[in-house]
Amino acid sequence: MADPLHIDLRLALGDHILPVSFDTSAKVTGIYGPSGVGKSSLLRAIAGLQPASGSLRFGDQVWQDGQTALAPEHRHIGWVPQDALLFPHLDVRANLLAGRARATARGHDVQALLSRVTDLLEIGPLLNRSTADLSGGERQRVALGRALCSGPQLLLLDEATAALDSALKRRILQFLLRIRAEFDIPMIWVSHNPRELQALCDDLVVLGAKGVQAQGHPRILLADPNVLPDRSATDFESLLPGVVVHSDHQRCRLRLSKGDAEITVLPSGIPVHAEALVAIRARDVILATQDPGGVLSARNSLRAVVAQITPTATGNLVHLDLIDAQGPHLAAHLSVQAVEELDLGPGVSVRAIFKASACALVPR
Amino acid sequence: MAGLATFLVMIPSAILAYVLARHRFPGRRILSTMLSLPLVLPPTAVGYLLLQLLSIDSPVGQLLNALHVRILLTWRGAVLAAMVIAMPLVVRTASVAFQGVDPRLEAMDRTLGHTRFQTLRRVTIPLASRGLISAAILGFTRAVGEFGATVTLAGNIPGQTQTLASAIFSAQSAGQDTEAWVLLGFSLLVGIVAVYTSERLSDTERAHG
Repeated sequence: MADPLHIDLRLALGDHILPVSFDTSAKVTGIYGPSGVGKSSLLRAIAGLQPASGSLRFGDQVWQDGQTALAPEHRHIGWVPQDALLFPHLDVRANLLAGRARATARGHDVQALLSRVTDLLEIGPLLNRSTADLSGGERQRVALGRALCSGPQLLLLDEATAALDSALKRRILQFLLRIRAEFDIPMIWVSHNPRELQALCDDLVVLGAKGVQAQGHPRILLADPNVLPDRSATDFESLLPGVVVHSDHQRCRLRLSKGDAEITVLPSGIPVHAEALVAIRARDVILATQDPGGVLSARNSLRAVVAQITPTATGNLVHLDLIDAQGPHLAAHLSVQAVEELDLGPGVSVRAIFKASACALVPR
Repeated sequence: MAGLATFLVMIPSAILAYVLARHRFPGRRILSTMLSLPLVLPPTAVGYLLLQLLSIDSPVGQLLNALHVRILLTWRGAVLAAMVIAMPLVVRTASVAFQGVDPRLEAMDRTLGHTRFQTLRRVTIPLASRGLISAAILGFTRAVGEFGATVTLAGNIPGQTQTLASAIFSAQSAGQDTEAWVLLGFSLLVGIVAVYTSERLSDTERAHG
């Protein structure tokens, strides 16, 4: 459990005031919401860069009380904005060390921290380069590294992957997962991407035009049509953790964590023994009440029990417990008629069937 | 002398330019207008205004007299005149330079644990440095060429209050053509170097931006 963050702020957003109040002590808290709702402003207010009123506390530190705000330099945060904001007059190494004074003051060995961060983010070869020559993904990694090297007590990540294409996004997500595993620093992570939020967050806050709309576990919230009416539930993806056990140029097999169920996916280039998440879209999952055996072209047929059925705008989302693997649910999106005809309800045994091509692997 | 004037004028000008570029406050437009006045008034008018302000009859003049600081008809007067005349140009150029610095970069530096002043030194001034050097060069050329206000305030005393401009005027009036030509050559040299450097700086700035 991380230090609790208590937020009860009123953000001034041009023509209106957005009240935002929630408490979290999750290692990674996701902030999700439509564009322009004020997610970035919230991060800037947490950083002390945007005037706000209300109260804001982190652990036992008071960052904002009424109109009185603690200056940004005393909050010890690491801010990673969408466009990286690298200092153009400094090279990569100097950018990474821009917050060295604070890191030293907070008891870090800056050289050790720098080498740990450059190894983790694989930016060692970039150290002597000018920031002008970096690609988008490299800029993001340097920005992440600069925040980490400043010895922060809280990381604020603003849609760090929004400006990148999907291959680069997966890479950044991989680095974020590493940071999450390697550093004991809580993070607030603003994202539009449900897959990233599920992969990274323990707690999710959904922001709407009137403030906090919902807060809870990302997997539950992202599947809830009442919380996200703008998002079709057919886009919902289940994310299951596992380890790659076989990889060649035709296919890749992943054994799910906490069980012996295996999933076949298309070749991914992820090496054997590597940990990965497999993303399976709910609309690509077929349910059968009997084992179709060898008459099926689909590569994956997992034994499961229906745990819960939730209505969506266009049908039902069926949440399944896998029999051969514990842990996160797998969800299937079915029409209302299909649920009725198969007589599905909690406790019913089914086969969850999906093609190898319906799966996307996300390295961890 | 022009160098000293430039040096003395840079610091207050840079502060004023930063304030004008970064802050919105009541009276900002009035301050901005006042600062630009020496640019549009005839230099002799500015000189006369300063003369009246500093004359022995005025409170400022009496104070200076009490402190035994002589400004009128001394090199100090020439420096003061050059400063006042150069200031608007310096403030305007420096202000543009500060406006070109992304405030979000300054915000980023604050989050890395730096105070407002540390950020000014670490981010704002380095990023505005080209424009600030440009401002100093323009201020210097303006100070070198100052005539009207200097003559009014400090006179035209060779080796003491004479600027390049007043020296050329003297040489030409006295019919010393050779000296006038040398001084003209020197002005050309200073002018060409200053404008060329200033243009190069703004070109590289554009290439970077």
